[in-house]
Amino acid sequence: MSLCSPSNLRLSVIALGLSLLAATAAAGPREQALTIHSRIAGVPPSTAVLTQMSELISSGDTAQAVRIAMDNDGFYRATLKTWVTPWTNRDMTAFAPLNDYTATVMGLVRDEADFRELLTADVLYTGADDLGLPTYSSNDNTHYQALQDSDAELGSSLVRRTQSQLTGVPAEATAGVMTSRAAAKAFFVAGTNRAMLRFTLLNHLCRDLEQVHDVTRTPDRIRQDVSRSPGGDSRVFLNNCVGCHAGMDPLAQAFAYYDYEYNAESDPDAERGAIHYNAEGETDPASGDRTEAKYHINASTFAPGYITPNDNWLNYWREGPNAILAWDPTLAGSGSGAKSLGRELANSGAFASCQVEKVFTQVCLRKPGNAADRALLSNATSAFAASGYNLKQVFIDTADYCKGE
Amino acid sequence: MAGTISNCIGKSPLWLAGLLSLALLAGCGSGSGEATTSNVKPDNGDEVDRPGVAYDGPAPLTEDVQNFKLYLWDNLAFAERCGSCHVVGGNSPMFVRTDDINQAYQAAVPLVDLHTPQLSTMVSKVAGGHNCWLDSDTACADIITGYITEWASAAGSISNEVVLTAPEIKEVGGSKNFPADSGDYASTVYPLVSQFCSGCHAEGAPLMQQPYIGSADVQVSYEAARSRMRLDDPARSRLVERLAAESHNCWSNSCASDASAMADAIAAFADLVPVTEIDPALVTSKALQLGDGTVASANGRADNYIIARYEFKTGSGAIAYDTSGVNPAVDLTLYGDVDWMSSWGLRFNNGKAQASTQTSRKLFDQITSTGEYSIEAWVIPSNVSQEDARIVSYSGSTQVRNLALDQNLYNYTHYLRSSSTDGNGMPALATLDAEERAQASLQHVVVTFDPVNGRRIYVDGELTGGTDPVAAGNLNEWDSSFALVVGNEVSSDRVWNGAVRFLAVHNRALSAEAIASNFDAGVGETYYLLFSISDLINVTDAYVVFQVQQFDDYSYLFSEPFFTRLSDDPIPTVPLEGIRIGVNGREAIVGQVFAALETDINAAEYANGMQPLSRQGAVVALEQGSELDTFFITFDQLGEHSFARVEAEPPVPQPPADIADQPTLGLKSFASINASLAAMTGISHTNAAVQTTYAKVEQQLPTTSGLDTFVAAQQMGITQLAVAYCNALVNDTNERAAFFPGFNFGAAPAVAFNATGRSQVISPLLNALVAGDTGGALNTQANPATLRAELNGLIDTMGACGGSCSADRTATTVKATCAAALGSAVMLVH
Repeated sequence: MSLCSPSNLRLSVIALGLSLLAATAAAGPREQALTIHSRIAGVPPSTAVLTQMSELISSGDTAQAVRIAMDNDGFYRATLKTWVTPWTNRDMTAFAPLNDYTATVMGLVRDEADFRELLTADVLYTGADDLGLPTYSSNDNTHYQALQDSDAELGSSLVRRTQSQLTGVPAEATAGVMTSRAAAKAFFVAGTNRAMLRFTLLNHLCRDLEQVHDVTRTPDRIRQDVSRSPGGDSRVFLNNCVGCHAGMDPLAQAFAYYDYEYNAESDPDAERGAIHYNAEGETDPASGDRTEAKYHINASTFAPGYITPNDNWLNYWREGPNAILAWDPTLAGSGSGAKSLGRELANSGAFASCQVEKVFTQVCLRKPGNAADRALLSNATSAFAASGYNLKQVFIDTADYCKGE
Repeated sequence: MAGTISNCIGKSPLWLAGLLSLALLAGCGSGSGEATTSNVKPDNGDEVDRPGVAYDGPAPLTEDVQNFKLYLWDNLAFAERCGSCHVVGGNSPMFVRTDDINQAYQAAVPLVDLHTPQLSTMVSKVAGGHNCWLDSDTACADIITGYITEWASAAGSISNEVVLTAPEIKEVGGSKNFPADSGDYASTVYPLVSQFCSGCHAEGAPLMQQPYIGSADVQVSYEAARSRMRLDDPARSRLVERLAAESHNCWSNSCASDASAMADAIAAFADLVPVTEIDPALVTSKALQLGDGTVASANGRADNYIIARYEFKTGSGAIAYDTSGVNPAVDLTLYGDVDWMSSWGLRFNNGKAQASTQTSRKLFDQITSTGEYSIEAWVIPSNVSQEDARIVSYSGSTQVRNLALDQNLYNYTHYLRSSSTDGNGMPALATLDAEERAQASLQHVVVTFDPVNGRRIYVDGELTGGTDPVAAGNLNEWDSSFALVVGNEVSSDRVWNGAVRFLAVHNRALSAEAIASNFDAGVGETYYLLFSISDLINVTDAYVVFQVQQFDDYSYLFSEPFFTRLSDDPIPTVPLEGIRIGVNGREAIVGQVFAALETDINAAEYANGMQPLSRQGAVVALEQGSELDTFFITFDQLGEHSFARVEAEPPVPQPPADIADQPTLGLKSFASINASLAAMTGISHTNAAVQTTYAKVEQQLPTTSGLDTFVAAQQMGITQLAVAYCNALVNDTNERAAFFPGFNFGAAPAVAFNATGRSQVISPLLNALVAGDTGGALNTQANPATLRAELNGLIDTMGACGGSCSADRTATTVKATCAAALGSAVMLVH
């Protein structure tokens, strides 16, 4: 057996691990610098960087110390990549290749953009032209796979582009990452497009449908495909189904003109599909208007249900128990299409606090668990808004909070 | 306004099209529009067990008298039906007199409504309990309705018009609603039912007779008894009437006394239930019960070829009656766990409804004579996970059958024994997997066969995409000894879980148009409820009308509201906003589809006697039962009247509970481990050997930071990756020289790993880990001395090869030391 065999090494590793875990001690600036760097960049700092960061911490400029850590490409290639990837697929797995959704989040963070653009802007980030990558294609993920496999530093090689020029979706129909290819592939594929709303709520308002369940909303927009008597028992509908669909269906109506189109026979995994949008003047052959056929499927399940005629969405959750999501009172609570829905969601208090909560869990490696944590979340959320929704500010505030004492 | 006002608003074709999609099928009731011949056969005395009545009086004077004889008289003149009383020398009216068919016709005409057969006096008389020849009054009523319908169809007089009738005006009052808690019931009614009804009506009783009002579980008893008690009128409760009027298993010598005791107990319970008072600020219509509505005609169905029909209206007992009127009746006997549905239907939990082979032979006779058939059913599969589950079968066992309709996951399957298939009906025709036709909701399923088109399956009025794998064939191989069974196989080992709300066997393959018509006609009874709003808009006999039906056992469907007025008053223009449906004195909390309605009542949109307000439908919870629930509607605004609805502020959420003892350290993720090893060694993640290893172990590495999630397999993956990086580092002479400056990789272990050499190897590794002494050891990091001791121990072990060390042992030892250090928890935990 080789002495360099895994079993020999494992013994050594375990011994080293024990020696570490036995160590508990107060954290000075150098210790704090190590924690911040490791949590933010995912990698140990060089001695020089450690020193530089610890001096900044000593001088009271922890923010700049965190910024140094965020300049390390590990922040993008390791931390953000792992953090964002689960938002981009239904399985919520982190083991998926880089894609336009992930890259766009990274780019918005790097450029300290207004993070609400995430759900509203005509933006996508791609790799720089001089990297020699395959060009962006709305039909596959080759460009991003190549970028991931390359030596390039992600943090410095992403370039902000105009989404509508890349994907062919009209500018007014773009809605940040919701209309990215990756999101379309995951959430507009087949089905009824409700998945886009559900996963956007889950990933960006930190609420799954169970948390917004409210049976008292007006159910007039629930589509025909929802059985009002599942298995012959309408109590199931009245007690459960209606609680989500009453609010969800009128919101998901915003996506009525979108689809993810692919060849099911030659490409059953939908790897080479593309987002599709019925622009002004285009007519879906099944519906006879711009509404995608998927909005009218299973119409006989409950014929007197709602028939989607357009992409006019309505937010019934502004009233009732879900008013606590802190919707923006300056917005109308209704509109047409994904962009205005994105604005409705991104301007809610829940969107801001959700980003902070996610960053907290990522940086502090735990859930907010006590009054002090909750106070930090509240303060960091305020600071996030005050910074113009610059997500780096949230990383700074949480890294500072969890750097150890 | 009290009294009755008739306003035939249904004469316009536009009105018919707008109100009743079923109305397009005028007159004959056939959906195909082609000339048809009825299947309702006059009983000519051929039936062994039911001899017909011979008529030798004067010939019918008109064709209508001939139709009367053919469709009604011949079927009712038996002594065991109406012939023992309503004849000469018996009771008037003598509509089955045998001496003169023309006089019998004169007697019958006042008793029938050829426009709306189900409203005939003859039907309501029998439905009310007048000498039904079966155990079920509704079954007799349905059979007579069928006879009259056929007569009307032959006469061409049947009407699809709906004549709305002004209901009696009733104010919305407070009412009592059953409390959720069974406590008061337990102390009042339960002692009686648990003592005297539990011998049969309990889950543990030998008969297991539904409803389980005698259950040992008081809540089960309460749920079962609720729909059988009237809080507004205890003496008219079903529990009381069953004893008083039907002498159903009275426990003392006096049914009257027992009924009185039951009525007193229910009254005592009702006294404990507080009255729900209506909010006086609400803008409300007048009140109605379902029975106050105008019955919507279900004509328009293509029923001409029906040879067996089950509407499951009986609601209790062990027999589901064939009300087709085609003799002999293929009545179904219930076995096992089968419940009646109050919305008309049978729910099969683990049971079946099976006919005798003797009566089932009617199917053989009627179907083989035409060589075609259709099985039509309104079904509600309980789930889409059941396989090989028989919904309807005409068979002898699991191995032999004439036909069957099965559910198989998301598919419906059609088996047929023919000259092209085997004795079990195989190969079968199934709906396509991709279409997922079978759903756990109310569906209209029709399977048809004819020698030209072969087998077909229609779901919800649409022909499904499955292609019959065999040629059409013929039915010469059919066996007359099989039995019709529903919800299972005759051998009881192909359980189907679900409900059947209607079942019909036709001996023709229905056309696609006919099937679509039957689908459009729906299932169950629909009523037009006219909610009076006269006093709100100052228009005489003004109503908001809903189509209402009991949707299932737990709810009503209120659909397609429209405004109408039965007077000639001018129609004003008034705003109408926010309709909500009220049940028993309070607005339903859930299901208010019309709450967002915002429109005007106006003359411009009023056409053909109505102004449609919405095409949608609302499902509202049933409370006390369709005979007891009282409905009204409210408006946020109607004319000058409005109700300011204020949404309560949501409660401020409580802070979540603290999470104690969360660790402040955690594991790095797979990507961070990879990046850390790359950063520490200076070897790119794109290095080919590293990439290969990473691709292999990536999903083996940690994804979450929780320390308690760490498992040995993850350490194995980390080790392999660390070895890959260290291997690449040490194999590259430039990289290793830069990383381990001064170390002599060419020397043998004994020389290379002197004190200086060891330091040249270990110190760079500890520095890479930020676990060295440079700048002073970190308090939160592993103790450098301990780390050095461990790594020196490893070097000692690796170098213990005496004089037989291989040439690369020094490099190997460095790799091992490197991997042990960089792949350790010092790297992993942060």
